[in-house]
Amino acid sequence: MSATVTSMPGRSTLSLHNLGVFCGLAAAVWLGTAEAPTKLVNAGFSPFVISLGMVMGAFVARWTVPMLLKGTGFVVSDLRDKPHLIVWAVLAGMLWAVANTLTIFAVRNVGLAIAFPLWNTNSLVGLFWGWLLFKELRGSGIKGWAKVLGGAFAIVGGAAVLALATAQQSSNTPGKAAIGIMAALGAGVLLGTMYIPYRKAYISGMNPLSFVTIFTFGELATVVILGAVFYGGVGHLTAELERARPMLFWPFLGGFCWVIGDLFQNFAAKYIGIGRGIPLSNTNQLWGLAWGALVFAELSGLNSTGKALVITGSLVMIAGAISISTASPVGTELTNWNHAMDRECDRYGLDADRVAAVVRGDDPLAGQPHQRRWWEVVVTCAAVGVFVWLAVGTESQHIFVNMPWLVILSLATLVPLGVCGTLLWRRTRFS
Amino acid sequence: MKRSNLMAILTDVHLWVPVAVLILGITLLMTLR
Repeated sequence: MSATVTSMPGRSTLSLHNLGVFCGLAAAVWLGTAEAPTKLVNAGFSPFVISLGMVMGAFVARWTVPMLLKGTGFVVSDLRDKPHLIVWAVLAGMLWAVANTLTIFAVRNVGLAIAFPLWNTNSLVGLFWGWLLFKELRGSGIKGWAKVLGGAFAIVGGAAVLALATAQQSSNTPGKAAIGIMAALGAGVLLGTMYIPYRKAYISGMNPLSFVTIFTFGELATVVILGAVFYGGVGHLTAELERARPMLFWPFLGGFCWVIGDLFQNFAAKYIGIGRGIPLSNTNQLWGLAWGALVFAELSGLNSTGKALVITGSLVMIAGAISISTASPVGTELTNWNHAMDRECDRYGLDADRVAAVVRGDDPLAGQPHQRRWWEVVVTCAAVGVFVWLAVGTESQHIFVNMPWLVILSLATLVPLGVCGTLLWRRTRFS
Repeated sequence: MKRSNLMAILTDVHLWVPVAVLILGITLLMTLR
C-alpha cells in the first residue's frame, strides 16, 4: 500500500493521497448540501420524520448509484469474495442510525449551532481508532502528527467558532441542555466508531460501492425500529409520514445528496485513511453555512462580531483542511498500513496480492466489462419513479429561498461531482 | 461461511469495539428518551 504508487497502464498517474484529499473535499460539499432539507424543521415538521425521509431517500440511492456505476454482478461478486464484511457493513449502518437519532435529540435540546461542533468531534474519535486499530499515523513523525492532529483540531475548533456565530441567531434555544450535550457527544462517539467498519472493509479490498449497498440495510432497519419505538408503533409512524407527504421529496433529495457525499467520504477513507479523510469531509459545515447564509438568509441579521466570527471560523477550518491535505503518509507509516492490511488477509484468508492491488486502486476486475442484468433497468426506473411521484405531490413550503443563490450553489455542487468522479474513474475505475 | 471465518469474526476486536459502542449508544438513547 502506498500513497504514491504508480498506476496501471492507461490510468491516470494521480497519487492516491491527492485522490483521497479530493474525495474528502468533494464529500464535504455534498454532505453540506444534504443539510439543506433540515431547514424544513422550521416549517413545523418533526426532525425525526425528516431524518427518516432522508434515510429512505438514501436507501433508494444506495441501491441505484452502485448498480449504475458497477452493475449488480460486480457488487455481488465483491460481497461473495469477502462475506465476513457484511457483518461490519450492517453494524456501521446501525451505528449511523443510532447516532443520527441522538443528533435529533441534541438539535432539539441545544440547537444545531451548539450540537453540530460537539458531534463534529467524531473526526477525533475516528482518528483515535485509526491510530489504535489500523496503525494509521504510526511512524509518521512529529511533522506528520502535527499536520494531521493540528488540522483535525483546527476543523473542530473552526466548527465551534462558526457555531458561536450562528448561535447569536438562535436566541430561543430550548432547555434540557445537559441532555442535548450528552446526546451530541454520544453521536460523535458513535459516528467516529462507525469509521472502524469503513477502514476495515477497505484494507480488506472491498469496494466502497459494495459496502454502502449493505450498510443501508442496517441503517434503514434500525431507523424504522427506532421510529416505531418513539412513535408508539409502526401505524403511528406511517401516519406521521403521510402527514409529511407534501414535503417528503426534499428530505429524499437530501438523502440522495448525502449518499453521493458518503460515497466520496468512503473513497477518502479508503485512500488516505480515516485519520485524514474524515476531518476533511467534516468541513461540510462550511458548505452547510453557505447554504444557510446565501440561500436561506439565516445570517441576515448578524452583527459585526458575528460576521467576524463566521470569517474566523471558516478560515480556521480551511487552514485545518490545508494542513491535513499536505500530510501525505510516507515511509514507516505506509509500512504500518501494510501490516494492518496483512492482519486482515491472514485472519480471513484473503489473497494478499489481490487485496494489495485493490487497496492501491488497481482492482484487476474493475476495468473489465460486467454483464448488465434486466432488473437493473427495473430498479433504476423504480428509483426514478419514486422521486417523480414524490415531486408531483410536493407542495411549496413557507420558507424564504434566494433563488439566484440556490441556482449558483446547486451548479457549484455539481463541479466537484464531475471533477472528482472523473479523477476516480481515470485513476481507479471506481475501485 | 466457513466455521474458521465465523470464529475469526467472533474473536475480532474490530467487531466488539463497535458493538460495545452501539450498545452504549442505544442505552443512552433510551435513557434520554
